[in-house]
Amino acid sequence: MFKYILERAGDIEWMAIVPLVLFVVFFIVIVWKAMSHKKEFVDRMANMPLQDDNTLEVEQ
Amino acid sequence: MSNKEQFFYDNGIVRKFALATIIFGIVGLLVGLIAAFQLFIPALNLDIPWLTFGRIRPLHTNAAIFAFVGNAIFTGVYYSLQRLMKARLFSDLLSNIHFWGWQLIILAAAITLPLGITTSHEYAELEWPIDLAIAVVWVVFGINMLGTIIKRREQHMYVAVWFYIATWVTVTVLHVGNSIELPYGAFKSYPVFAGVQAALIQWWYGHNAVAFFLTTPYLGLMYYFMPKAANRPVYSYKLSIIHFWALIFLYIWAGPHHLLYSTLPDWAQSLGTIFSVMLIAPSWGGMINGLLTLRGAWDRVRTDPILKFMVVAVTAYGMSTFEGPMLSIKSINAISHFTDWTVGHVHIGTLGWNGFLTFGMLYWLIPRLYNTKLHSMSLANTHFWLGTLGILFYAIPLYWAGWTQSLMWKQFNPDGTLVYGDFLETVTQILPMYILRAVGGTLYFVGFLIMVYNLFKTMATGKVTSNEAAEAAPRPAVHKKHPGEHWHRPFERRGVQFTILSLVAILIGGIVEIVPMVMVESNVPKIESVKPYTPLELAGRDLYIREGCLSCHSQLIRPFRSETERYGDYSKSGEFIYDRPFLWSSKRTGPDLARAGAGRLKKSDAWHFSHMENPRNTSANSIMPNYPWLIENELDVSTIPVRIRTLQKLGTPYPEGYDQIAVDDLNKQAKMIADNLRENDIDFEGLEKREIIAMIAYLQRLGTDIDPEIVDSK
Repeated sequence: MFKYILERAGDIEWMAIVPLVLFVVFFIVIVWKAMSHKKEFVDRMANMPLQDDNTLEVEQ
Repeated sequence: MSNKEQFFYDNGIVRKFALATIIFGIVGLLVGLIAAFQLFIPALNLDIPWLTFGRIRPLHTNAAIFAFVGNAIFTGVYYSLQRLMKARLFSDLLSNIHFWGWQLIILAAAITLPLGITTSHEYAELEWPIDLAIAVVWVVFGINMLGTIIKRREQHMYVAVWFYIATWVTVTVLHVGNSIELPYGAFKSYPVFAGVQAALIQWWYGHNAVAFFLTTPYLGLMYYFMPKAANRPVYSYKLSIIHFWALIFLYIWAGPHHLLYSTLPDWAQSLGTIFSVMLIAPSWGGMINGLLTLRGAWDRVRTDPILKFMVVAVTAYGMSTFEGPMLSIKSINAISHFTDWTVGHVHIGTLGWNGFLTFGMLYWLIPRLYNTKLHSMSLANTHFWLGTLGILFYAIPLYWAGWTQSLMWKQFNPDGTLVYGDFLETVTQILPMYILRAVGGTLYFVGFLIMVYNLFKTMATGKVTSNEAAEAAPRPAVHKKHPGEHWHRPFERRGVQFTILSLVAILIGGIVEIVPMVMVESNVPKIESVKPYTPLELAGRDLYIREGCLSCHSQLIRPFRSETERYGDYSKSGEFIYDRPFLWSSKRTGPDLARAGAGRLKKSDAWHFSHMENPRNTSANSIMPNYPWLIENELDVSTIPVRIRTLQKLGTPYPEGYDQIAVDDLNKQAKMIADNLRENDIDFEGLEKREIIAMIAYLQRLGTDIDPEIVDSK
């Protein structure tokens, strides 16, 4: 069935438009999600590589 | 303090992968250097099959990508993952299986590729048993990584970890998707998909091998090691989130830009172009985020070689991710494709981005692993300048060579004939650029050796703490527990959910492009006169694959007058339906061979014999190596029946029971070619049984299916 739908698609430009729309929607969602994080959380995350020194001064 | 748990980081496995990175860096660069010299001194193959360009070029690419970069990824991931997750790696056993398994795969590649055991799919040349081994080891890596994430003590996953997860998920999908093949022997197989369908799948894989093996894991490393080295948090964590999702969603669609002006339907080519151009945005978002991480630390870039390497690495990333989308625009691709421009572009990425970020990481990591200081800062600075000059001397001549050659290919006389009708003229013109490129490669290699010396001296002054003691509070169980739910379920949830979400994001592009291409018949119009290869031609084709001829010769004529004038009618999808694997290639160091056996390009059997024995017999100044072993070796016909049966299973319409008489047909056709050679005074005992006869049969077949003159004469 899917095959025949695609066969009839012909030169219809939906092949290019659908992914583009899909990406725009996806992009808006991720920007919205990223921007909605609280500042404290973002600061904590950004500093994570600098605060991962959990090593002890003892050796095995 | 009392609620903190004590544990040990596994530095031993990090050290092992770091050492493997260094050792395979030497191998990958050295083989590349040999290949670079062979391009202007063809005698450097010493007439030995396994030293010949077509066989060592895939060895170089595999060693550089999967051995050098691969081991560097595992070094950085295993070091940073433990610290970001505040946990030891999931399983020491899996870590070691991963390490030794990966090195064995590299060893298998180093043996099989020079022996000519190859699928010929670029960057996926390894044959089916090794493919299976890669799948197993990659799954081991995945379990070890996800297991560590599940048992983590840190509540949140830093963005670097997202990049690691996306890398694992996507490479799994790509490797499986591009390795669907039917074996016909211990080390040989035919791919399930043929022609244009295979081309689309291969470049969906090939492009995303660049995206998800050379880029996303390195972005993860950048987001971890660059803040470490600069002692500054990442410039914008929000930008890194947007960067991540936009990049992985877009990247997967861009593969068809490797097939512009090919026989791939226009809709698929357009998708490739659109998404490639859109990729500039997230790529540059990442680059800007990396460079601005150094805000307030730029004074240190002048003195700290680690930061120098990282700055040039990120700049090279920015350059190649700007250039890539530009090269995906059809009118630019018309000039760049098949030329050294692409090779230059790729090496800005590999030498600059992957190489320099690896060097920065190693200079930062090795002294810390060995509890000591770097042996010599001045040697590291020397390495930096040699490496930087090496990249420039490598890339600029190749850009020049690419532009020069492409313009020469397209130059017409006022009467409409080609100015440079002899392809060889366009090759000899750029040989000085090939020499300069080898100089650049040598500089880069010498710089690398200086790093090796510097790092080994550093290691000699310190001692590794294989199990480094650490402590951290256990991860709070914030998730509301459902009745009957296993106690560790909340810990798993986000890691697993995230993995699934990444999988969905990367599957969309692949499915939209590949499924219609494979299912819709109108995407591959059939041509009545195209017939399967005869057994002798098939054997010759498999020799063409063994020798890696596609490293230098394309079999795809684009619909430009400059190409149809030189090579004959442009290529059509229907011509390739029996091509398993497809052999379009992506580089023309020599001329296109799609119609080598037809029309104005047709040469005599004797010409081919003489040319393969020593190309300079027929074409003075040719840079193609000699293939004397094709004349000395007897053709192996023992596997012809099984090859025919395998192709029948895949849909090639050989008659029922043809495998039983295929060798007879092969011998008849071989005798005809041998008789023809004897008429031209090429005669020795057993001539008709030699490999060269099959190679001639294949080359003479190319393009004859639809050439009207040939069809008429039949």
